[in-house]
Amino acid sequence: MAADMYEEIADPVSGATEARPPRRSRRVFPYLALIPAALFVLGLMLLPIGATIFHSFTNWDGLTSTFIGWRNFSLIIHNPIVSEIFVNSVIFLISVPLILIASLVVAVLVYEKVPGWRLFRFLFFIPNVLSPVIVGVLFSTFFLPGGLADQPLRAVGLGSFAWLSYPWTARLVVILALVWTSFGFGMVVILSAMTTIDPALYDAATIDGASWWCRLRRITIPLISGSLQFLSVINVIYTFTSLFSFVFVITAGGPGFATTTVDYYTYLTTFENGQFGYGAALAVMLFLIVFVLTIAQIKLFPQREVQQGA
Amino acid sequence: MTSRLSRTLVFLGLCVVGVSTVYPLIFMALNSMRSSTAFELRPYGLPNHVNLDSFRTLFSQVPFLSSILHSFIVVIPAVILATLSSALAAFVFTKTPVRFGNGLFWVMLMIMFMPGIVVLLPLYVEVAHLGLANNFTPAILIYTAINIPYGTYLLRSNFRAIPDSVVEASRVDGATWSRIFVRIILPIARPGIATVGILTFLNIWNELFISLVLLHVPSDEMVTPTLAQLSGKYSTDIPVLMAGLLLGAMPTLVLYLVTARVFIRGMLSGAIR
Repeated sequence: MAADMYEEIADPVSGATEARPPRRSRRVFPYLALIPAALFVLGLMLLPIGATIFHSFTNWDGLTSTFIGWRNFSLIIHNPIVSEIFVNSVIFLISVPLILIASLVVAVLVYEKVPGWRLFRFLFFIPNVLSPVIVGVLFSTFFLPGGLADQPLRAVGLGSFAWLSYPWTARLVVILALVWTSFGFGMVVILSAMTTIDPALYDAATIDGASWWCRLRRITIPLISGSLQFLSVINVIYTFTSLFSFVFVITAGGPGFATTTVDYYTYLTTFENGQFGYGAALAVMLFLIVFVLTIAQIKLFPQREVQQGA
Repeated sequence: MTSRLSRTLVFLGLCVVGVSTVYPLIFMALNSMRSSTAFELRPYGLPNHVNLDSFRTLFSQVPFLSSILHSFIVVIPAVILATLSSALAAFVFTKTPVRFGNGLFWVMLMIMFMPGIVVLLPLYVEVAHLGLANNFTPAILIYTAINIPYGTYLLRSNFRAIPDSVVEASRVDGATWSRIFVRIILPIARPGIATVGILTFLNIWNELFISLVLLHVPSDEMVTPTLAQLSGKYSTDIPVLMAGLLLGAMPTLVLYLVTARVFIRGMLSGAIR
């Protein structure tokens, strides 16, 4: 976004593609400079992705693999645990609007420069700096029977509650941990978008008698819709692909499979049970779902103004 | 939002959120200094006297300090490699006339948020096959690769903010591309590069899945798997657990504290998307 501002200032005549000095040594560097990134991305990402896709059609135990066509996928579709797990991921999507709302509220308030806003901005990012493992262990400690979360219950004489032993409260703990770690990043993304809004817009609206709420809805949100879309996309992806650490330490997928996510289940089937082909098929399905959801969000998100930097 | 009452309410609301982000740190610090019996009796408030048994237990029962060392051994080279590779690629994408650069960038965008397991499955098998299981090198290289797409994406939008005219002027003066990268782009983009480097450090230090799968022998473990297993082993001895969490969080907390000015400014100037 800052990029756009500078680009408008930059001289439009001087595109980077013009003026090429003839000496060859001067032209080699850009190609050399691409080599590290290209090697890493091709060798350690694209090739493995290809291998995973290939092995998703095989019976693979890590050593030998035999081609079995769509067997893995039909097994997945008919596995009742898998459908339960995909439902879990959908339930965990509740965290996405929560994260967006929390980030937006906090960002708008910090933007209005309440006393101590710099300190708040610093503090709100702290959960982002901690590992999900650490956050997970903390939350599971707080939600042990008789833990911190039970203190208000105790105060009114309700005693202790085993939060992690019931499906819905266990999911709630995971969602809370997720929202708590993610809103700081959302705040920073939104703040960085808000710095590009011309303050004169707010002044003009205030003079015209627009309320705070009206300014938020008519000026702020439309002007940062690109950032909101970005946050929505990455948080949906995160919910599907990166809850592993939280689930691993908070609930270990339980009770039953109530908090097992696709990535955690894939970990169990492959690295604990050694079913690599089946795991590969699960991973491929996960990737396809994330891909479709990302495209859908880019297409469906109400975008009143195109203002993205990338 | 101009009335005094609403401003006070807003302030109080922010205070509550602020406390929620700091309290867990205080909880970790205070309870790591209690004995487990003192924790059972009184888990909240200041400890009556400082008791460092939890740290002693932690160091004698688990190879904890070496797990922190292993994390540094893996994270530092990976951060340097990933940030440097990303900066070079982003430079090529934004400032030089390489044609197929855009193709590579689109590939990176497509795989930027790839579920880690898609990549890790065959890599794990291959690493085991080569007899490199529980070796730090594969972990360093895989972390590097996984962090390059996002790093390149961030630095690309960062470098685009540098006016092309600056680069053009040096080209006219006869500067080589390598010179432009080292002498012009790197100094101007230093805050952005630092921000991306810090984000990459946080990503890798805090990651669990890859470290758990690749380095699973206790003598070679990184800090996150050690902490995850600690939570199973010492779920009843909370002070030991908190001592581990506190030390495991220290490097990232200190990094954030020390670099907060540059880091936050870097992120606000659009270095995170």
